[in-house]
Amino acid sequence: MKRSIVALAGLLIVGQALAQNVITLGASVQETGALANTGRYYRDGYNFAVDKINAKGGLKVAGNSYQLAVKILDNQSDSNLSVRQYVQLLNQDKVSFLLGPFASNFALADSSVAEKFQVPMIQGGGASDQIFNRGYQYIFGTLPVASRYFESTLSMMKTLTPKPQTVAVLFADDAFDVSVAKGTEKWVAEAGMKLVANERYSTNASDFSTLISKLRSVHPDAVLVAGHETEVLNFIRQAKSLNFSPKLYSFTVGVPTEDFRHALGKDANYAFGMTSWIASPNNKDDYFADAKAFAEAYKAKFGYDPDYHAASAVADVEAFAKAIEKAQSTDPKKVRDAITQLNFQSLYGPIAFNATGQISLPQTVIQVQHNAVVDIYGQKTINKPIYPMPSWDKR
Amino acid sequence: MKRYSPLLLIAVVALLTALPWFAGPTLVQFAINALMLATLAQGWNIIGGFAGYASFGNSIFFGLGSYGVAIAMVQWNLPFGVGLVVGVIFSIIFALAMGGPVLRLRGHYFAIATLALSQVMSAIFSNLEVAGRNIGLVLPLLRSDTLFYELSLGLLVLATLTVFYLSRSRFGFGLIAIRENEDAAQSMGINTTRYKVLAFTLAGLFCSLAGGIHAYWITFIDPNSAFDLSLNVKMIIMAVFGGPGSVLGPVIGAAILSAISELLSSTLSSVASLFFGVVIVLAVILMPKGLTDCWLKFPVTRWRYFINNIRQYRL
Amino acid sequence: MDLLLQVIINGLLLGGLYALMALGLALVWGVLNIVNLAHGALIMLGGYAGYYLFTLMGIDPFLALPLVMLLLFILGYALQRYVLTLIARSPMFNTLLITFGLDVIFMVLAQLFFSADFRTINPSYAGAHVTWFGLTFPQVQLYSFAVALLLTVGLWLLLLHTRIGRAIRATAQNLSAARLYGVNPKKIYALTFGIGAALAGAAGDLYGVVSQITPYIGATLTAKCFAIAIIGGLENPLGVIVGGVLLALIESLTALYVGPTFIDVASFGVLVLVLIIRPQGLLGKTAK
Repeated sequence: MKRSIVALAGLLIVGQALAQNVITLGASVQETGALANTGRYYRDGYNFAVDKINAKGGLKVAGNSYQLAVKILDNQSDSNLSVRQYVQLLNQDKVSFLLGPFASNFALADSSVAEKFQVPMIQGGGASDQIFNRGYQYIFGTLPVASRYFESTLSMMKTLTPKPQTVAVLFADDAFDVSVAKGTEKWVAEAGMKLVANERYSTNASDFSTLISKLRSVHPDAVLVAGHETEVLNFIRQAKSLNFSPKLYSFTVGVPTEDFRHALGKDANYAFGMTSWIASPNNKDDYFADAKAFAEAYKAKFGYDPDYHAASAVADVEAFAKAIEKAQSTDPKKVRDAITQLNFQSLYGPIAFNATGQISLPQTVIQVQHNAVVDIYGQKTINKPIYPMPSWDKR
Repeated sequence: MKRYSPLLLIAVVALLTALPWFAGPTLVQFAINALMLATLAQGWNIIGGFAGYASFGNSIFFGLGSYGVAIAMVQWNLPFGVGLVVGVIFSIIFALAMGGPVLRLRGHYFAIATLALSQVMSAIFSNLEVAGRNIGLVLPLLRSDTLFYELSLGLLVLATLTVFYLSRSRFGFGLIAIRENEDAAQSMGINTTRYKVLAFTLAGLFCSLAGGIHAYWITFIDPNSAFDLSLNVKMIIMAVFGGPGSVLGPVIGAAILSAISELLSSTLSSVASLFFGVVIVLAVILMPKGLTDCWLKFPVTRWRYFINNIRQYRL
Repeated sequence: MDLLLQVIINGLLLGGLYALMALGLALVWGVLNIVNLAHGALIMLGGYAGYYLFTLMGIDPFLALPLVMLLLFILGYALQRYVLTLIARSPMFNTLLITFGLDVIFMVLAQLFFSADFRTINPSYAGAHVTWFGLTFPQVQLYSFAVALLLTVGLWLLLLHTRIGRAIRATAQNLSAARLYGVNPKKIYALTFGIGAALAGAAGDLYGVVSQITPYIGATLTAKCFAIAIIGGLENPLGVIVGGVLLALIESLTALYVGPTFIDVASFGVLVLVLIIRPQGLLGKTAK
């Protein structure tokens, strides 16, 4: 009897020692429900990055080597459930650090858990300015600042001939898109163009025929839409059936994804969009070599092309790996301080957080040309945009 | 259920009161959520279980309570307690204004009207500047789950005591009479309109307080999460699963179903909601009168209980 | 002026599709007294049927209509015959709950089998339009309006002039009397639910052409169908056309004059008003 207790205690100690060599990250993402379509980038991105870092030998902390692990729960696209899941991750599943969900309203709610328990969360799914201006200490984000989404699009528009004179902005009424629209007003004014329509619509609206008819009557040269992928698809299809073709239209989301081109077919052509990330070999990375190699490996593993969501998710995991090694500790406060000091080159771009916890990353303007996504404009023109886009009956 | 000694119930409540001191944060937050759902189910029980009106509008009160607290705390810098009162005032105004006309409708029409009202309220709040439009409001952070837990527990006890009182008061019998035959109840001299509006308001009161506590606890609300229709469906399922029109049925139903659903969503994740759907379908077919009825009759008829139910209700 | 006319035309054309969506819901509600919360899910399944017939087999969505309707008819028939029949005489919220449960099941299964990707049925003429009097008429919307009219009138004739139709109407009015007539209510119930599902399927197929299908579109569509069915009334299929067109016009004009974020306030507000003032629907006869 006594012996077995000793043996059991021994086993427990060994078990604990083994467990100590794993650092677990936790996340609650949308694997099912209305946001599952984008949520999967985060699930796959997190898993892929963790596997890769482990394959490269894991982390070295204070002379010991550690493996990373990730525990992902499905929040079923329910933000209240996701908050509870983050509490569960910290207290029951004993994860050490938090990765974020997709979408600004989720990040807004979930970051309060990080702040409450004083465990850092790095999230690559919410860009709304509201997440970062609450003075929270434990929330970091790897998406560019929402209000600057259309900045590069407008600087590109200044280079076009003939230069667009009038701009219409459509935006969904959620946290992220409202931030985008507010910023865009400023960029439009700075570019010396005239804002002829600025319309807010309900998130998940499916009928855009009235809005499109209204736009048609004010003839904007350019239409900028900040919304969600499903709304963008509806907008383009209905623009076609109502024969509305401005000289240029651009969308905050959708355009870089494979899904977008599948759903629209030929009609995806000429749409402008943006991405905070291009799968270019110039984006070097310590774990994946570079962004191009990453994109190929990702596609081979999961069967679909990664977009900036996936790259941002990978950057979140890498940021933790770097910060833990930098802190030489797994203490949440020390790691948090190390995160603020980070400055490294990832496949997603340079990662260095500013005082509010966001990184600064320019958006690259892209356009679908001949059924493929083409990089158009970063700091300067990369490829020639097709402008003005041909009207629907001339395609 | 009357055979349960009150002592046992008091002991259970006492044990629950002490829970935060021996349970971990995960269990406590699960319990806060379960207590909230139980309160909502109990609130629905008053209008749905006793009066027989299938309300899909109780989530409106939850939303009004949430926004009461959020607007008071964020926009007007008032303390949490005042916020709860603001939410309750919103709810009472709504119940008195809409209760009269909507409660004249019967059956499906009432259900649809309340469902539509909840959509209207959600859409109105997503346009209100003071409510942060569709972006929502971020509440200040309070690091005390124990407080939220005790508040939720207190509210549930209050709701259950109210329902207990209902079950043996003239008012409660009046509601049951309305459920069984509204025209007969009216001819017996019951002022059915006043009874129904009162029941609707009372149900709304508990939903509103639960919403207020939840808003402060979760620290972020937007119209989608505050006027969440699936929350309303959940309260109906929990009340009906437990036994509508009974005192403890909704509480037991809420406890069991939220335990199952929480367990599944943290382990099986993706198929959790599939299971939830299957449970609803099976429960409605096999025990349409709820757990309390099953508890009483199953020992007598055994497995034939389920077959009898099907025989009784099938075409 | 042109803008207003164009918006009215958009509304009218959308109204046809709306009516087709709600037609099955109204039929099932009126005859079986089942408020089918899974109706939107049936529309969604019809959309996927149309999508796969188009992408895998290249069948034009309009030609695929009969096939989609047949598939959904079988599903609906089986649902009523083997599941819903078990609770036919149960209290009202039990029927609400069971159809909600079915809605959840369909949604999760759709996500498992079809993934959460956005699906569109995109035939070559999907975005085509014709211009009359300076106004734009999207072709697909014109076709679906015609299909909706055709199916509505077809249903109306079926109910009015055929043996099955008379049996369905008799069942709706009085179950025991219908039984005396020699009608097998189980079969009639299943048949009615099947027809309702088939109509939902047709609506889903067309919905995929003008908009897009995901596993999660069901709930919103169900809510919309309620509004249409209530505004139009449950007594006559032709009323549903009026309900659909009215709702679409209300939505379009609200978007134009008040703002696109007020659409739900207006459409569901009208629904509540109609219920309070005339629960039998705007076109319904006196209340029973």
